[in-house]
Amino acid sequence: MGFGSNLLTPMLGIDISVGDHVQRQVFGLTINMDIVWATLIAGAIVVTLGLILRAKATSGVPGKFQLLWEMAVGAVQTQVDDSIGPRGAKVVPLALTLFIFIFTCNLFEVLGIGAKLEYLPAPTSDINLPLAMALYVIVMVHRAAIKNRGMGGYLKHYVAQPFPPKLFFINAFMNVVEEIVKPVTLTLRLFGNLFAGGLMLSLLAALVIWKLGPAPIGAALSVPFTVLWKVFDMAIGAIQAFIFALLTILYFDTAMAKDEAH
Amino acid sequence: MPIATSNFLVPNGTFIVVLLAFIAVLGVIGKYVLPVLNKALTERQEQIRGELEAADKAKADAEEADVERRAVLEQARGQARDMVTQAQTTADQIVTSATAEGQVAHDRIVASAEAEVVVARQAAVEAVTARVGEIVLAAAERVIGREIKASDHQDLIDEAIAAVRAETSGAAASAGGAR
Repeated sequence: MGFGSNLLTPMLGIDISVGDHVQRQVFGLTINMDIVWATLIAGAIVVTLGLILRAKATSGVPGKFQLLWEMAVGAVQTQVDDSIGPRGAKVVPLALTLFIFIFTCNLFEVLGIGAKLEYLPAPTSDINLPLAMALYVIVMVHRAAIKNRGMGGYLKHYVAQPFPPKLFFINAFMNVVEEIVKPVTLTLRLFGNLFAGGLMLSLLAALVIWKLGPAPIGAALSVPFTVLWKVFDMAIGAIQAFIFALLTILYFDTAMAKDEAH
Repeated sequence: MPIATSNFLVPNGTFIVVLLAFIAVLGVIGKYVLPVLNKALTERQEQIRGELEAADKAKADAEEADVERRAVLEQARGQARDMVTQAQTTADQIVTSATAEGQVAHDRIVASAEAEVVVARQAAVEAVTARVGEIVLAAAERVIGREIKASDHQDLIDEAIAAVRAETSGAAASAGGAR
């Protein structure tokens, strides 16, 4: 066996499967139990942090814990004020919850070891949670648009822009595509990033079987690479949580804007 | 529990469960956490605004007090200056009037002294004149050898007295001029 084939062997020899879950059938529906547990635990963490804050919140000098919350709320509030204005006050709880919840879920990936089944997978690395949040957001966005423009205005909006009304057919096509694409991109962006993060951990774990003769090169490299990747992955988790919340705010901005505003 | 592999891009029943979980979290954060935090934030802003206003007021008060203090100080300085000027004037006046009084007293004393000198000189001249007459008469008597009556030679005596008087008054006049 030549040196080259030695190098290639581990990469070819491992089988990394995706989409493995502990599943159970409930009322004919397939439920990924590991994702449900992870989601509930992430939700419990967020709710617990929130209730601790509720108990400790003071208008006096805030502690570090409260300061962290205030920073998050302040950042969301500023973003909403800058893009939507005072009308966007109702968006703040949604955007804040999205950010904190997604960030917490994403952090679970740090616990992963690249196994086929993680004890606590990042729930956002399964398509269901990102899709659920994206659809919830988009439904709320359309609801806000109808509330803002009225049903007539809402429907008219599809055909009246961006081109002159004569080209209403093109307008309608472009707008419908855009509205369908919004939840899809919102879902896939978050899911893809987290899913790829988990895949990366699997690949790094698979590195362990790479040996040059008796030298466990893969095992030696696997540990520092995994540590580096997890640090990087935490940043990705924060960024993706931020992007999800930011896009939510911007979609609401578009929905609540006056007709001429965009 | 069975482990199964499914298409990772196709959602399944998990969707409903995690959607409900998310909505529950959103509800708790939106209903129970954010309002409390926002209340705390608003209250703190109010407190800070109140404190800033109080600080501004205190600063304004201090500035006002400072201005007042400066005004009072300036007034006091002005008064002090006036007092010194007045004192200087009074002192000058006192010196001037004292000098004038002194001059007057000096002149008066000198004048009265001169008058006394003149009187004394007059008395002395008169005494000397009288005495000279007698001595002349006595000498003449002795020269002539007989008594000479003053009344008989009154003309000669008067003439001699006049000569003496003229001589002494000339001396007195020259003495007065020298003084």
